[in-house]
Amino acid sequence: MNRGIGIWRCAQCRTGFFPQRLLCARCHGESFEPDRVHEAVVEEVSIIRHMLGQTDWQPRRIASVRTAEGLSLTVGLTDDSAPGTVIELFEQDTAPFGAAKK
Amino acid sequence: MHTNAAIIGVGQSAYTRRPQPEQSTHTFIRDAVVTALKDAEIDAGDVDGMAVASFSLAPDAGVDLAWKLGLSLRWLMQDTNGGSSAMNMLGHALRGVESGAASVILVVGGDATGLGGYAKVAANFNIVTQLHLAPLGHGGPNGVYALVTSRQMKKYGLMKSDYGHLAIAQRAWAAHNPYAVYRTPLTMEEYLAAPLVADPLSRYDCVPVVAGAQAIIVAHPDRCPRGRAPVRVRAHRASFNYDNQEGDGLQTGISTFAAELWQAAGMRPHDIDLVSIYDDYPTMVLAQLNDLGLIGDGDLARFARRDIGEKRFPLNTWGGMLSAGQPGGPAGGLNGISEAVLQLQHRAGARQVKDARLAVATGYGMTMYRYGGTAAAAVLEQME
Repeated sequence: MNRGIGIWRCAQCRTGFFPQRLLCARCHGESFEPDRVHEAVVEEVSIIRHMLGQTDWQPRRIASVRTAEGLSLTVGLTDDSAPGTVIELFEQDTAPFGAAKK
Repeated sequence: MHTNAAIIGVGQSAYTRRPQPEQSTHTFIRDAVVTALKDAEIDAGDVDGMAVASFSLAPDAGVDLAWKLGLSLRWLMQDTNGGSSAMNMLGHALRGVESGAASVILVVGGDATGLGGYAKVAANFNIVTQLHLAPLGHGGPNGVYALVTSRQMKKYGLMKSDYGHLAIAQRAWAAHNPYAVYRTPLTMEEYLAAPLVADPLSRYDCVPVVAGAQAIIVAHPDRCPRGRAPVRVRAHRASFNYDNQEGDGLQTGISTFAAELWQAAGMRPHDIDLVSIYDDYPTMVLAQLNDLGLIGDGDLARFARRDIGEKRFPLNTWGGMLSAGQPGGPAGGLNGISEAVLQLQHRAGARQVKDARLAVATGYGMTMYRYGGTAAAAVLEQME
């Protein structure tokens, strides 16, 4: 597990992106620098109760969250965080997760 | 306006939730093609163009399908835009005929993934999904549109039952469609009691995956069978990656071209007699209707309760994909176009909208990350 979520920041106009892009959507710059975001606010939550093709599925929580600079991400929630909760972000491999900030 | 190209025939295969071992994407496509050619009274040997879209044709490509159908072509395309593939292919086919690149173009879509196969498609939809969504157990498009639905409910003051009006109204239309996989009337009590799939979406909010295929034939209007009016396209527009996934998903790409679409058609939204809206989720039906200006005041809740709930608005008159089934996005989109054609030719039987002359149909798809990134629409008209 890694703290924060890796994002890509345009070297030219400094706009942050997630997921990764090839050219900056703002200035079409071609160079990006790695950066990390550590917090976000939960906006919407869903509980995935059924998965096609799965018979022993355990419900999971996902959320749409927004960072302070306005990046909208979809993350897995590892706790019962509700809309409005400030969460800490972390990565497991390439998957973004979050849980309420302690 | 397309004056030298029109839709002259439509056809579909059977739809089934559980395809038999001897059935495949290819056999469903064959069945739809045979039906469409017969409907258009066109010999297979006269087809010189084909557009195809499918999530499950691979490893075959369009030319393999042409070979297996015995079609020698001079115009061929394969579309990868999911729920807007059908509308996209229609636009290309119209231009293909009008430019003289081909004279008779078969437009076909179909899939037979089965439920397990569809789950694999959903988990591997693109690289972003593979890397960042599937590992969350995000549930495929159900999870994505669950979040969009919550956002829409919050923004427009919608209640769960408002979406129920769409599902119930479409099910009532499906009762008159022998191809629909679900035709039993649906009540609000049943809708509200249905098990949750991905909160707040429950069973009747999620499009049922089926195996099946759809086809249409595009050619010069003079080739339309006698005694039947060809259906022409007054205007057609499309949009791809309209906002870099940076919005809220409550507006679709249709919002970028709706005004231009109506202007090009020489029509206004209230001139339309019926609508075929790509309906993988009721949420996105309301979003597309709103983008098209068909919800005049933007009051989605009142529209759902009054116009749909009181059956004042002919929406998805074949039952939509929500009741008829979704044979993959491409054929699902063709279903809406085919229904518009049948309605405009007054061949829709018990579900016929009286005196229908104008329709609008849409496509919406490719859930790239947070919502769909492709959309297209056309205004269709019964030619005199």
